[in-house]
Amino acid sequence: MHGPVTEAIQFIDLNLSYAIFLIIVGFIGGLVSGFIGSGGAFVLTPGMMSLGVPGTVAVASNMCHKFPKALVGSIKRYRYGQVDIKLGLIMGLFAEIGVQVGIQVQKVILEKWGQAGSNLYVSIAFVAVLVIVGSFVFRDAIKIKKSGGDTGEKPRLAARLQKIELWPMMTFKRAGLRISVWFIIPVALATGMLAATIAVGGFIGVPGLMYIIGATSIVASATELVVAFVMGLGGTLIWAYYGMVDIRLTLLILGGSLFGVQLGAIGTTYVKDYMIKFVMGTIMLIVAVSRFLAMPKYLNELSVTSFADNNVSLMSQTSFYVMCFALLVGAAIILIAMFKARSEEMAMERAQASS
Amino acid sequence: MGTTADNGVMQEKTAQVTGLNKSCILFVTKRTRPEASVMESAINVADRLGSKIIVACVNTRPHLQAEQQLSRLRVPVSDQNLEHFRLQAQSRGVDFACIREDGKISRVIKRLCHIVKRVEFVIIDREIEMEEAASGSTVPIFSVVSSELRSEQIGRGRQKQTFFEGGNQMKATSRRRYFAKTLVFGAMTAALYGIVFAYQEAIMHYWTKGGIYALLPVATVFVFSYAHGSFTGNFWSALGIEGSKASSLKQKTSQATISDKATKRPDTRPRVQVN
Repeated sequence: MHGPVTEAIQFIDLNLSYAIFLIIVGFIGGLVSGFIGSGGAFVLTPGMMSLGVPGTVAVASNMCHKFPKALVGSIKRYRYGQVDIKLGLIMGLFAEIGVQVGIQVQKVILEKWGQAGSNLYVSIAFVAVLVIVGSFVFRDAIKIKKSGGDTGEKPRLAARLQKIELWPMMTFKRAGLRISVWFIIPVALATGMLAATIAVGGFIGVPGLMYIIGATSIVASATELVVAFVMGLGGTLIWAYYGMVDIRLTLLILGGSLFGVQLGAIGTTYVKDYMIKFVMGTIMLIVAVSRFLAMPKYLNELSVTSFADNNVSLMSQTSFYVMCFALLVGAAIILIAMFKARSEEMAMERAQASS
Repeated sequence: MGTTADNGVMQEKTAQVTGLNKSCILFVTKRTRPEASVMESAINVADRLGSKIIVACVNTRPHLQAEQQLSRLRVPVSDQNLEHFRLQAQSRGVDFACIREDGKISRVIKRLCHIVKRVEFVIIDREIEMEEAASGSTVPIFSVVSSELRSEQIGRGRQKQTFFEGGNQMKATSRRRYFAKTLVFGAMTAALYGIVFAYQEAIMHYWTKGGIYALLPVATVFVFSYAHGSFTGNFWSALGIEGSKASSLKQKTSQATISDKATKRPDTRPRVQVN
């Protein structure tokens, strides 16, 4: 074994109910990831920890299931012509650097303010990013829906940035855009940093690709899967080097998530473009509420507030359930929208055949 | 991919008809003998529109040795097969040319639309997917599905009905294929899961050793993602849950358009003008 951490690691004994729980959560997480490009795995780490899995093993096993899931999802969506591999690989490369920067920031905070300070930093980052970006994405989705669908216009910021001829300029055929690499790097770094902080880089990556780079939400969410694959593979190699990956947990989650990710990818071909923004915005805002409820615990630990222990415990539990609720709401919207659009298409085909 | 020699032959042959400055219908097939009903429909349409026909026989797998041998054998057979259609077209005053191409259907169509002048639309033969053809085309694509049964019922000479029937039959065949694949990959996945959980103690011992052993979990998930990913993909297809055809076609067509736009970069080079 490598590194000091592995000495104390206890891998849990699995039973049938644990296995079923992981497969179901994996399926729902995979469904959301396949549809919006990321964001389906954030429940898994706390979910595994609630089964008694040590935190580091939960993070490592979760990461180890994320990259093959992203690989399968991106292959599926590539077949639908939605993935820009070149953009995904460039983003992934710089996001990997962002992950390393994020880890260093975490280390500094951990040394200065301890575990509670680090947890508080994570929660604040969670709430701030999710509220700001989530409300923007959600508002945009509602605006497009009210205007009767996607007009095909690029966001103003993206259109302006694409006009700036700053060497080196790159053309991304699948995404249908040409932009300077200098505008891709900050988005990719922020994605990586967020991934290192809250484990879901896609909450920055997908909106960044849509509003800053100028890709459509379908292409952005599909390309994010390539970014997630690159980041996940790098992260898994590091965790596996320290012997932290519980392959049994990984494979159980993967068992459910590969069903989900394929279904989510299929769903993107049926729904309108703004639905991706709608699902993403909804999940982000509900998760923001969840993390907000988790903050009093860390504030108490840092002696900033003095909430009663009972209340703090209740809020922590509620926080986890709200997080599960966010995932379920996202999955429900995807399934309803997909099957509704599918039945409409089938009815149209039948009408054409009979006429 | 078409070779230079192929392009030369193609240009020579197309020159015979392109010089006439007529609009052109491109007929694309990857079969040794084009489907007679589809070919006849194409000749009918060309006759009505006063267009010429260029038949592109595409070898989609030129690098396979067996295909190369087949391709060599095919040449005279294919010519013989097309002779009937050539005579048919000539009897109706339709200019007819045949060319041979190698490579992907989408690329061949794109290339031909670029080289041949005034291609009005493309008609694809059976066995060519609409999505596959549309991704490379800058002109409309049509497929013709004829029903011998219906034409017999109509029973009026050469009149043919073109309609999208047979879809259900095709769906049933492909569903059976997906179902068979689901069973194969499902068995493979079950075996893999069985092995992991039957020998979980030994596996956990080596897989958590760290260091160079880090490659073991990574390799494991790659193997599982292949077997289980194929299983789940075929599973949904066997249930009839597949991506929207209309949407994927739209996506590919719009991407073909935007990719052309994206590659156009502004020419900022300085120029000297002499008056």
